[in-house]
Amino acid sequence: MKKFFRQYYHALIQEFRLVKGDPGVLIFLILLPLAYPLVYSLIYNPELVRDVQLVVVDNDRTPMSRELVRRIDAAQGAWVIGYAANLGEAKRAMNEHDAYGILEIPEGFERRVGLNEQAQAVMYCEMSLLLRYRGLLVSATDVMQDFGATITTRRIDHIAPLAETISSGDLMPVNNIQMGNIEGGFDSFVMPGILMLILQQSLLLAVSMCGGAKRQDPRKASFTPLSAERSSLIATMGGQTTVYLIMMIVPVIYIVHYVPLIFRFPMAGDTLQEFLFIVPFVLSSVGLGFVLQGIVRERESIFVIWVVTSVVFLFLSGLTWPRYAITGFWRVLADAVPGTWGVEGFIRMNTNGASLAQVSVEYRNLWILATIYLTAGYLVQRFVQRPDIEAAARRLENDSATKS
Amino acid sequence: MSAFWQIFRRSVLQLARRPIYWVGIFLLPLFCFLLLADLMSDGLPVKAPAAIIDNDGSPLSRQVSQQLAGMQMVDVVATPHSFTQARHLMQEGKIYGYFLIPENFEANLLSGRAPEITFYTNMTYYVPASLLYKTFKTTALYTKAGVASDVISSAGFTENPTAMLMPININVRGLGNPGLNYAYYLCVSFMPCVLQLMIVLITCFSLGQEVKYGSSKRLMQLAGGSIVRAVSAKLMPQTLIWWVIALFLESWMFGWQGYPMHGSWWWMTLSELMFVLACQGFGLLIYSALPNLRLSLSVGALVGILSFSIAAFSFPVQSMYGAIAITSYIVPTRYNFLIYIDQALNGIDIYYSRWWYVAYIIFMVAPLPLLPRLRKAMLNPVYVP
Repeated sequence: MKKFFRQYYHALIQEFRLVKGDPGVLIFLILLPLAYPLVYSLIYNPELVRDVQLVVVDNDRTPMSRELVRRIDAAQGAWVIGYAANLGEAKRAMNEHDAYGILEIPEGFERRVGLNEQAQAVMYCEMSLLLRYRGLLVSATDVMQDFGATITTRRIDHIAPLAETISSGDLMPVNNIQMGNIEGGFDSFVMPGILMLILQQSLLLAVSMCGGAKRQDPRKASFTPLSAERSSLIATMGGQTTVYLIMMIVPVIYIVHYVPLIFRFPMAGDTLQEFLFIVPFVLSSVGLGFVLQGIVRERESIFVIWVVTSVVFLFLSGLTWPRYAITGFWRVLADAVPGTWGVEGFIRMNTNGASLAQVSVEYRNLWILATIYLTAGYLVQRFVQRPDIEAAARRLENDSATKS
Repeated sequence: MSAFWQIFRRSVLQLARRPIYWVGIFLLPLFCFLLLADLMSDGLPVKAPAAIIDNDGSPLSRQVSQQLAGMQMVDVVATPHSFTQARHLMQEGKIYGYFLIPENFEANLLSGRAPEITFYTNMTYYVPASLLYKTFKTTALYTKAGVASDVISSAGFTENPTAMLMPININVRGLGNPGLNYAYYLCVSFMPCVLQLMIVLITCFSLGQEVKYGSSKRLMQLAGGSIVRAVSAKLMPQTLIWWVIALFLESWMFGWQGYPMHGSWWWMTLSELMFVLACQGFGLLIYSALPNLRLSLSVGALVGILSFSIAAFSFPVQSMYGAIAITSYIVPTRYNFLIYIDQALNGIDIYYSRWWYVAYIIFMVAPLPLLPRLRKAMLNPVYVP
């Protein structure tokens, strides 16, 4: 038992030395979780898409058509940059990337309203970005309803018996309440999930890079290779994991608490429970890192292989494409990634204020993944990583023997 | 055999011998393409789980529930009895929104006491919430219109009830993508961005390997001391492979997957071919500026991953902070996206896209001033871990 703790302690110190002395690993463990959230949040921090440029083709030129244009210009999502003489001219403005929508008001717009007919207008939207389309669509819908209600009220005033029922207010008010991300901002939506993915990726990259460093230089190993005393692998891995956990304390507090605070993301969750939730997430990421060590022969190759997986994990996590629409093979693959459950659970806790009990499915799955990956990591260490390091150490010994 | 072909042959062998190139050039990009395209093959994530709280239980409220359940975008999975219960279901992630019909809804509506319909959408999940919003709103407005037209006609108002209730109608038409297909946004932008990331990384990696293992001296020797010859012959086999992959991607997206191609195939093809060269130029620029394997890969990875955000595939440049918005223009994939919008989605005249093609050329020539620096690093290789 004493031997076990000595080996554990030895592994812990060795790993600390390795981490401390390796700028590459430090970048992943400290710089990446500190800097990425700031950069990402800054990109999306304006949150809403306001004032999408719009060109108007007004073939009616009446007070009513001007009123319509004024109301649309006043809406949050649209900004009337000017009038065009005809559709061709408006199309040209769109092609020149000056405008992203055209509002065409046909001749006789006001007259149709006067005749108690439905007056039609058309809004053409350029579809390069969904958020821009959404801005124009919501503005058009709101104006259509508000302006329509004004006209209806005016008309109903002529029909005495009903006047009180309808004109004194809406017949049946319809409200939408946005839950969680109450302002509907893009940053507040996407960032809490991204934060979890950043955490996972920085752990995976750091752990696998440590493995690569040891293969290159067996003196950095967390156990004494080629010593007579066979050191316990569990003690070694325990020591290493402890180092990663200690190293992650500051980044986790920063990511879970301070980043949302700085950028005013929703923070409805209980911080302590969020930390409890993160524990198996970090453990399963470390476990996956141990597994990855088996394929990382060279420290640099991890970049080429692993960086692009961030995109894969983003899509599998259900953040951009909801989980209920992910099926079959992709669903199975997504379930095997710690980030999927980490994102699901964390955004519901952070944004929707779910308690730990309410994300019990995700929490349980994270513990299952942690068990699986740490076990798999043990096997990889036992049968791949350790023999490789020992072989490298033997080579090193032979080299120095031949030299002297 | 001339020096150029000797180096060319050498680098083909290098590519073929190391599994990491096979993984980085073929396996990973193709896997990402497959994932994105297959995930979004439906275009929209239909059947969002939702709930209805019917506190009224009248014929009218049941009719509303049935109407809602029949909508394409929603899957009514629960009928909780209270608001709190529904909120808990939302927090547990079982539903993405709920529709609340208040008590005495029918009675209040018919007697003109203006009952309120409220629906809740979980904006923690943007896409399902937006789709539910649309469905919920439509259902509520139909209900309202139905009741209102009954009331109006019973009051003896015989004219067109639609015009009465909706005197103004703005018909919003999405040009080029009327069905709001998500793949048209995400796949056409993310796939080239994956390609850019891999091209930049592989370019830096292959050059860095030469310096790391000291074989760059041999490379320079083969090239007769000319850095231009060394680099062009070294990267040319990669260019050819990337061209094949880029053209495969193009035909796969716009041909097989049927993403919109309203313009000329030739301009898109030219764009893809120039895009590959621009990305290689970008990678070469990074490596020449930082001729250290790990540093250049770090920068390449950083820029490559940030490109997915700063190239403004979802959040428009115009809405970003100015200082961040300008960085959008320093990545090649931005121009690929802009050309896609102009030439494939909107199919407008090439005249309007001229500057995007010029930008590609700038990326290709940008590393030239830094080549002497690369030459120095190649001739005196030092591996800094």
